[in-house]
Amino acid sequence: MNDDKLSSMVCESVASIRSSTPVDQIISRGHAVRARRRRVPAAAAALVVAGGAALAVTTFAPSGQPAPTAAGKAGSLPAVVRLAAWTVAKQANGDINVTIRQFQHPAQLQATLRADGLPAHVSFSGNPVTVCQPRSVSPNLAMGIYRFFDGNGSDVLTIDPSVLPSGVGLSISDDDQRLPSGSFVVTIGTVYTSRQCTG
Amino acid sequence: MRRRKGVGTHQLDFAEFYRGAADECLRAVLVSTGDQDTARELVDEAFARAWASWRTVSKHPAPKAWVVRTALNAGISRWRRRRREIPVSDLTEVTRLPTASGESADLVDPQIMAALMRLPARQREVVALRLILDLDTARTAEVLGIAPGTVMAHLGRAMAALRHDLQPELHQEHRS
Repeated sequence: MNDDKLSSMVCESVASIRSSTPVDQIISRGHAVRARRRRVPAAAAALVVAGGAALAVTTFAPSGQPAPTAAGKAGSLPAVVRLAAWTVAKQANGDINVTIRQFQHPAQLQATLRADGLPAHVSFSGNPVTVCQPRSVSPNLAMGIYRFFDGNGSDVLTIDPSVLPSGVGLSISDDDQRLPSGSFVVTIGTVYTSRQCTG
Repeated sequence: MRRRKGVGTHQLDFAEFYRGAADECLRAVLVSTGDQDTARELVDEAFARAWASWRTVSKHPAPKAWVVRTALNAGISRWRRRRREIPVSDLTEVTRLPTASGESADLVDPQIMAALMRLPARQREVVALRLILDLDTARTAEVLGIAPGTVMAHLGRAMAALRHDLQPELHQEHRS
């Protein structure tokens, strides 16, 4: 059996499968799709002006990275990096709390997470992440790696890097969707680590 | 003078795209997932997302590939949420079950589907994009975020495994 014959067999094996969903149903389903996904509250939109000011300050940092805001005891290593767009707070137990208010400065967020020991890929381009290969993990493990909680009006993503299996990282992205309420949508997924994806 | 497209025009464009691409995308996702109901749900969801981001997706060089990639990505989290894993050994039975919509699922060749499900996930994705969507190697590589050479290697291995699975009698002849 040559490749052409085999290809034809594979194609023909599913050739009679047809989609039966009306396009109107697809369009209206978009709202349900969005609702299923995690949201960053619309209150963030009100922070845009103040956020610009905060960013202007942070960009004075010599490294070009956001200036970290120290948290915890004086003299301890900075545990919090805060921009107007997002905050990353490393907890004493190793957990990383991420609060996203605006989809801005993905490279800095990615660098901050990686510096905290998390293999991460961050993309706020609005397009699907294509440089990473999704890595399926068990539901229990996924819940151990990351979870959301309501933190003072904003969803906070808590990540425990210590339970990430070897060779697994996280992808954080948006998909160019805004809910009618003005809220944002953020997508979290487990991915294989690679130079291209998680650095 | 350039005119911005209105919502109605966008909707017509999307509807045309959907009607032309839905079957192919469904088949591609089915080849990757092995389950009709799951594939239908994932593809519907991916098209819903495509509509929500239609201004971006309509400019994508391969919007069908965008839909399939999105459907497969959505599948990861869906399976995670529902704990719905389909053991490979059960696939023959799964493909013969009636679908939730009441349609018969016997339209799929169970032997070929079972052989596809024995392939590693990445090889199935390459088969779906290269054979079902008929994307070229370069575009497939771009969609999957891997090198073109890796696409060719995956496809070569997949074809060899399928040939082996679907032609057991031939191999027995060769051995004797």
